[in-house]
Amino acid sequence: MNAYARYFLKKSGWYLVTLLIALILNFLLPRLIEGNPVSTIASQVSQGMTDSDSIKKVYDNFMKEFGVDKPLLAQFGIYLKKLVTGDLGTSFGLYPRKVSDILMAAVPWTVALQLPAILVGWIIGNVLGAVAAYRKGVFDKVLFPAALFVNSIPFFTLAIIMLYLLAITLKWFPMSGGYDYQMVPHFSLDFILSVLRHHTLPFLSIVLVTIGGQAIGMREMSIYELNSDYVLYSKLLGIRDSRVARYVFKNAMLPQITGLALSIGTMVGGSLICEIVFSYPGIGTWLFTAIRQLDYPLISGCTLLIALTVLLANFTIEIVYGIVDPRIKASQMEEN
Amino acid sequence: MSRKLADLQPELAPEPLRRVLEVEGLKTYYRTRLNEKVFAVDGVDFALEEGKALGIAGESGCGKSTLSMSLMGFYFPPLYYGEGSISIGGIDIMKLGKERLRKQILGREIAYIPQAAMNALNPTLKIIRFIEDLMKEHQPKLTKPQVRAMAEERFRTLHLAPEVLDAYPSELSGGMKQRTVIAISTILNPKVLVADEPTSALDVTSQKAVIRLLKELLDKKFIRSLIFITHELPLLYHVTDDIMVMYAGEIVERGTAQQMVFDPVHPYTKRLMGSIIVPEEGMKDHKLSAIPGAPPNLKNVPEGCRFAERCDFAREECRSGKIPMRVEAGRTYRCIFGVDTLKEWYADEEVQR
Amino acid sequence: MKHSAGILIRSPKFMFGAIMLLLMVALVVIVPLINRADPLSMEALAFQPPGGGLLLGSDNFGRDLFLELVYGIRTSIMVGLVAGVFATIIGLAIGLLCGYAGGFLDNILTAVTNMFIVIPSFIILILISVSINSRSSLLVALIIGLTSWPWTARAVRAQTSSLRNRDHVNLAKISGHSTPKIIVFEILPYIASYVVMAFILQVASGILSEASISMLGLGPYNTISLGIIMNWALVFEAPVAGAWWAFIPAAFSIAVITFSLYMINTGMDEIFNPKIRSERA
Repeated sequence: MNAYARYFLKKSGWYLVTLLIALILNFLLPRLIEGNPVSTIASQVSQGMTDSDSIKKVYDNFMKEFGVDKPLLAQFGIYLKKLVTGDLGTSFGLYPRKVSDILMAAVPWTVALQLPAILVGWIIGNVLGAVAAYRKGVFDKVLFPAALFVNSIPFFTLAIIMLYLLAITLKWFPMSGGYDYQMVPHFSLDFILSVLRHHTLPFLSIVLVTIGGQAIGMREMSIYELNSDYVLYSKLLGIRDSRVARYVFKNAMLPQITGLALSIGTMVGGSLICEIVFSYPGIGTWLFTAIRQLDYPLISGCTLLIALTVLLANFTIEIVYGIVDPRIKASQMEEN
Repeated sequence: MSRKLADLQPELAPEPLRRVLEVEGLKTYYRTRLNEKVFAVDGVDFALEEGKALGIAGESGCGKSTLSMSLMGFYFPPLYYGEGSISIGGIDIMKLGKERLRKQILGREIAYIPQAAMNALNPTLKIIRFIEDLMKEHQPKLTKPQVRAMAEERFRTLHLAPEVLDAYPSELSGGMKQRTVIAISTILNPKVLVADEPTSALDVTSQKAVIRLLKELLDKKFIRSLIFITHELPLLYHVTDDIMVMYAGEIVERGTAQQMVFDPVHPYTKRLMGSIIVPEEGMKDHKLSAIPGAPPNLKNVPEGCRFAERCDFAREECRSGKIPMRVEAGRTYRCIFGVDTLKEWYADEEVQR
Repeated sequence: MKHSAGILIRSPKFMFGAIMLLLMVALVVIVPLINRADPLSMEALAFQPPGGGLLLGSDNFGRDLFLELVYGIRTSIMVGLVAGVFATIIGLAIGLLCGYAGGFLDNILTAVTNMFIVIPSFIILILISVSINSRSSLLVALIIGLTSWPWTARAVRAQTSSLRNRDHVNLAKISGHSTPKIIVFEILPYIASYVVMAFILQVASGILSEASISMLGLGPYNTISLGIIMNWALVFEAPVAGAWWAFIPAAFSIAVITFSLYMINTGMDEIFNPKIRSERA
């Protein structure tokens, strides 16, 4: 078996274990709610219901879903079995809608917002960081503190400021939602334009914050690479600066891919909160709604989905990275 | 002495020796965070003749590594050029301007092997890709197959496997990496090769291979002269013809390897030779004695002789003015006392022990 | 150490961060001494603009936003500090154990650390917070600390394992010193600067985490924090009402505190990490 296959297997194994832990956390933590969660929950859901039959129906439904009368391990078994079939339970807040249906409707919005925003922010951030490290001087002196400052502002804060400035004061962009509220989603130019207009502001705010964090990381990485011996050696052999800069950029960029993997969790988290500010119809806004209504199935559905996505993204990045960077190849060989 | 490089090339001896490198009044400095200038190379003069290997010795912090970097004429912050000239083949490279220096001199006329050659190669670039990049700068007309043919031939000549070309640096052993760096540095047949501690991180076998390689390069005239910097004096004795000793940014003595090792004149050279564990025959009865104290802080060098603080023979008159190089009885050194006086003192010291 | 302190004082980045932070701390210490009013008492109509006795106007309940801000900064800094201390202690313990022990224990703990780096910590934060009904600010701080230690553990492990085989450590081992003694006297002093820097970053990220979960409505109860002010502003639609004073000062305060901490960290990094200091001498 070659080194890469072994690397692949090892990584897969670890990610499976990580996945299991994420599932256990997601299963266990909401069950730590004091008392019988079902009665706590059912009493909240059935608030305002007067018909005792329907209250009982709600209660029985959740008893069945949670299976609280069975031992914990059996409950976990039921949980996993349902998970495999895509059943994430029933929402309390939007009873009797299925959690999986709500999430299915929200995912496209979140993906369409976050994927391009994080990628664009990542690319611009890396370029700026590399340039700052390379050019030094005024550019670095201005850009670096600026990036650090943007990075110090929590995602949602910047989003609120942008909302206030660009949407409310200047009225350049709509304030909230994924499209004009009077529209019904359908395939037409009007609708697409409306979606794009609503997309811009949340997109920009995520891009801006991502740029900050990535620029800082890339700058540090590039400075590290710029100080390495191969830069000195290459320059002293008369290799032109632009080519040496390319070496440095590539070598600093590759670890930034792992950086992306590691920070993707934080970024997704931050971007989700951005959605809340703009009432964007994605996972983040649903999570916010769910938390306010103590809609446990929906909360745990959201967290599970996010955890799974982040794990998958990490796994993909690490696997690809193992192919791209010869330094990883070398460490694989050392390990074997 | 029969192992000496010059003796290996008797055909060079009758020719009048041409100077490949001349350095005059070279001063370079580091700029600290607090914007102070620290002259790590403080007025260095020397010349190097064709076919010769020159060693530079001294304690760490004496400026020998900085001197080796400074010889390239190409400076990176925090190291800056102060004044002086560096002439290679009669051209003062400090007057060329950065771009001409890079295109015409670096890698072609003078090449450098950095202290930590272990990391001198870009870890994400195959060796051949780096050589191709190097050729794009200096021989842009060569096609990729031509570059490969040339590199393969050179590697074979130097007893390096051509397969190395297709490896990433991390796939090579330490010694192999070092020899690869040397082969790449000399692929354009530079007149001067500056090697800064090329063997210090290697095991004994690899050290020998590197030394053999350096000698071979001179032998085959791939390089015309060698500057070898190390703190390991026995190594210098075997590799080089002449040795210069540096102290606090200045050269304090220069002589043939034989003179410097067995008959040092300057008190610092004397101490330096005495401080080394020498496993070689003939140096065995030299007593081991560490030099007390440390080199002066280059931020404020003492007036007069820079070694006076640590010198057993220092007098009041050593501590004022500037001490020039003294040429006496065929010896060149930086001290106010004559060769005979110093030798007398050394003899007295020997008796007292 | 004295020497390092001397350099730190000359580092503009470090000094800038330190002074900003001290000013903030001075503000939250001094203002409650002068103005003893309850920050939660209603003083005016909803969303009154700044001016007329209210330095930063009023919020949706007509409360004095300046006073709220002061208490909010205090809570946020406290939560950040406690979370930072907690995360640093756990991270340091695990990192030292991994790095010094090596072998099987190291493999297992490193794997666990990596897992918790990959599983988004804010997910765990949400899940725990949702499960606990009455959250004091101390509890929130502890939860944040509990979810953010892996970064410190990783950094400490890397440093420790590189120190493990140094001469002075081996000498201590041969001399028969006990493991705790070796760790305290031969390892800790060498990684102290990294630990301090990691701690500063943990404080900053603790403040950001608190703000994030408070924003989600999962913050501490019965207190005011910067995140809670932001949450109120959003829930009661301050941006729509044009009441910028209800969220901009709080947002700015979070940014200034974390920025100061980052500056302190960067200043220290440039001094303790010569690679970034770009001095080859």
